Amino acid sequence: MDTLLLWALAGPFAISAALAAAGVGDHRVVGWIGAVGRAIAVAAAAGFWMRAMGGAWPAPDANGLFRVDALSALVAGCVALVGAMSMTLGPGGLWAEGDSPAARRTFQAYGNLFVLAMLLAVTVNNVALMWVAVEATTITSALLVPLHRSKASVEASWKYLLIGSVGIALAFAGTVLAYFDLVTITGQRQAPATWALLMHAAPTLDPGLLRLAFVFLLVGYGTKAGLAPMHTWLPDAHSEAPAPLSAMMSGVLLAVAQYAILRWKAVVDLSPGGAAFTSQVLLAVGLLSVAVGALSLVRQQSYKRLLAYSSVEHSGLVCLGLAFGPAGVFASVLHMMNHALAKSASFLLSGRILSRYGTTDVSGVTGLARTMPATGALFAVGVLALMGLPPFGLFVSEFLLFRAGFLSGHIWETAAALALAGIGFVGLASHAMGMLCGAGPAGVEVGERGRWALTPIVACALALIALGLMLPQFVGSLIGRIVEGMAA
Amino acid sequence: MDKLFSEVAVLGASGVLLCAILLVWRHHIDGYITAFKWQSNVLAALTAAVAYFGDDRDLYWVAALMVAVKGVAIPRLLTRLAARVGQHRESSPLVSTAASLVICGLLILLAYTAARPLQAMAAAPTHGGIPLAIGLMFVSLFVIVSSKKAISQVIGFLMLENAIALLAVLATYGVPLVVELGVFLDALMGFLVMQIVLYDIHDTFNTLDVDALSRLKH
Amino acid sequence: MFNTLGVVVEIAQALLALAVAPLLVGLIRWVKARLQNRRGAPVWQPYAELRKLFGKDTIVSSNASWIFRAAPFVVFGSTVVVALLVPVFVTPLPFNQVADLFALVYLLLLGTFALALGGLDPGSAFGGMGASREMTIASLSEPAIALAMLSLALGAGSTNLGEIAARTIAHPTDALSPGHILAFAALFIVMLAETGRLPVDNPATHLELTMIHEAMVLEYSGPALALVEWASWLKLTVFLTLAANLFVPWGLATSLAAGAIAMAVAATVAKLVVLAIGLAVFETRVAKLRLFRVPELLAVSFVLGLLAVTSSFSLR
Repeated sequence: MDTLLLWALAGPFAISAALAAAGVGDHRVVGWIGAVGRAIAVAAAAGFWMRAMGGAWPAPDANGLFRVDALSALVAGCVALVGAMSMTLGPGGLWAEGDSPAARRTFQAYGNLFVLAMLLAVTVNNVALMWVAVEATTITSALLVPLHRSKASVEASWKYLLIGSVGIALAFAGTVLAYFDLVTITGQRQAPATWALLMHAAPTLDPGLLRLAFVFLLVGYGTKAGLAPMHTWLPDAHSEAPAPLSAMMSGVLLAVAQYAILRWKAVVDLSPGGAAFTSQVLLAVGLLSVAVGALSLVRQQSYKRLLAYSSVEHSGLVCLGLAFGPAGVFASVLHMMNHALAKSASFLLSGRILSRYGTTDVSGVTGLARTMPATGALFAVGVLALMGLPPFGLFVSEFLLFRAGFLSGHIWETAAALALAGIGFVGLASHAMGMLCGAGPAGVEVGERGRWALTPIVACALALIALGLMLPQFVGSLIGRIVEGMAA
Repeated sequence: MDKLFSEVAVLGASGVLLCAILLVWRHHIDGYITAFKWQSNVLAALTAAVAYFGDDRDLYWVAALMVAVKGVAIPRLLTRLAARVGQHRESSPLVSTAASLVICGLLILLAYTAARPLQAMAAAPTHGGIPLAIGLMFVSLFVIVSSKKAISQVIGFLMLENAIALLAVLATYGVPLVVELGVFLDALMGFLVMQIVLYDIHDTFNTLDVDALSRLKH
Repeated sequence: MFNTLGVVVEIAQALLALAVAPLLVGLIRWVKARLQNRRGAPVWQPYAELRKLFGKDTIVSSNASWIFRAAPFVVFGSTVVVALLVPVFVTPLPFNQVADLFALVYLLLLGTFALALGGLDPGSAFGGMGASREMTIASLSEPAIALAMLSLALGAGSTNLGEIAARTIAHPTDALSPGHILAFAALFIVMLAETGRLPVDNPATHLELTMIHEAMVLEYSGPALALVEWASWLKLTVFLTLAANLFVPWGLATSLAAGAIAMAVAATVAKLVVLAIGLAVFETRVAKLRLFRVPELLAVSFVLGLLAVTSSFSLR
């Protein structure tokens, strides 16, 4: 049953990639096959969710290749959902038209591999193999960033590739250091570096070395998570990439990187003095990211870069929450999920706006409410959600996060983060208002086209509202399990 | 025997680091590629030596892979890329050569301080080379940051990978074979993708100068 | 071992080095000539040059002061003292207590300094140019040579030349240690800079604008010039002997027995010849570096020295 679920989760993406690479069949047929397959994958992710609520699979001490516990299930679920949405709405999917066959094939081939790599990263049991999968995500997505060839997109892809690869290499250095610690202390040279083994051995590992390793790991995976000061690639890559890719990168790739940081934090926390150290480091990095993201939001001219910097800010908030103890971890994971939904929806909508208005400038886009009513409304929902307003999920998670911060004693840092989030609020609001209100510019066609393409985004919006009004049982208990699992 | 192993390890690590210093000194892209090739070969030889002294058969495969991928395939692809793109000189780098060399020396000293917790723990005879591996990491990062041509940045990144491989070989006699294979695959794929993007940059900008890649700001 | 035999041997050793220096330089020139497909002057040509110069008149510029006249003696004197300290054939020797590495380096530097002053003194353009270039190179090579020496000293636990050589004789595998090899590389580069060989300075150039050492001595004539030239050849010999006897010290006699000394003489001469030929081949292969690239070369030597020190330190 469990193996079946795993195949059902990964299979559709692999098949779509293979079909695209082989270039067989009419693209509409392939698109439908892909869409159906992805729906199956989302169902499989939901299945994992259910099972994870009952307990990790396989049994926690097993050293099998795959292990889907609560955290894996949550992130895998987000990845599957956002991946399915983006791949279906992107070139070669169901509703996109106007892309060349080559662009469609490239996007489907590499995009599906990208989702597969992310799924692999969160379900595999070995820390080094997780690293291999995360590196694979950089490689597969870097080729897609310059899909629409232009000077800016080529520059963005180079920055992404170089900075991402350097960061990942440093993460590997951290992995090697931690592995060295494990091997020297346990004395077994061929010990498989599974999460269970690491967490079990953590109290006996050398604290100084583990801390050094954590610094490398935070710098490395933090680069992929868009944490300052390693975030410089993010605004460029996320704004120049085609919208569905940006949705995946901003929504779930950041979540996968945060997953890696979370797992390693759990390991380092178990060593003597580790928890205090990780808190300090995560606090510093998180606060810096929130500051950079929020302050940059104010003077953006491109709405895609606006969304990208918002990702930096929210990534910083997630990182910050991890430093606030178990309640903070709860809030962070919830925030990760909410952000994935909101950001991916916003980016997909930005793709529609771009294809209609032809410009990424905020000043060039006005009167969304009149030209594209449905898109405009959903975009407003997305931006309101990202600003952290009720009744959307991000309000709840941010509230919990700041509460955890005050309760855990980090008064000044939480207050600073609150103030910065306020600045970000103002930045987003002012730009979004400008985009939504007013009359549309001349030469822009009025009226909504392709309404069916909006269905997944509407679903996201509803999910955000649901998460904002109440915390459903299946979400709350899963995250509760995650927090427990970190202490074990 | 252990002492010989120790000396061979430190000698090998110094050799690998010296190739990096050679790279900082030269100004020709071809010189960079040669330095990288020698570095990979010395690293492969060191891996084979560790395999011999440390009684680990898997490392022989790793050494062979390293020669095949990093000693032969990648330099050849790089040479072809440099010829295609027509870049043979690194334009005057951000920091003057003499200053770069002194900075490298200081970075190596920094690495020795950073590697103290590692050295205190390490019981293996190869622990003398660990600070050199970390020094190589710092030097590679410096090369990436101070390069003015995209292709030099790629070579700096390849050196960074070599540095971490060196660390793995010296600290834990390499990682499990499965992981090594994955890492090599990733390295090769990563390099191929970088190559593709470099060709893209050349086609779009007509130069590999990193300064041209600065339109996107804030 | 402060006995008369020891003192006699030590002085004899220095005199022998003095006598052999022109021969060594002649050998290097002859090998280079042969490699360049010329017949070249015979190996004892430098002796003929010295004899010629000692027979000539000295002409001193009217702008020169006593510094100009004293400089050749200072250079010659300091280099001979260094030759007394370096373990050429035997170690340890009576003057060993002062045979400190740093004393050696700074004695050689004293010679360079005197020569630079002598170049500046007459007020000629080329003299000033050569002097400034020489001091730049000397100041840049100083940290490099200090580090290389320090790494050797760390390995032996003392900066005493005799002890360093003795230590390497006692532990043969130390010669292969990275600290040693890196220190040798650093020292080799510094030697090229200090003795004015290619790629830093071409000793055979006639173009004044490319000269460094030759420009400083342009004003000297007659016996003064002979002393200066001899001193520079002796400096080269001393450096080569250092390289040979600190890094490959086997063959050095550890006692004053006649047989040991004979073997030591043979061994040292052999090592010097090998090094001289090696140097000649190396010089034929490289081109002269432009002046502003010399600091880069010396920076490489500095980093090598730094690596040598850190390797020796960590492998203790």
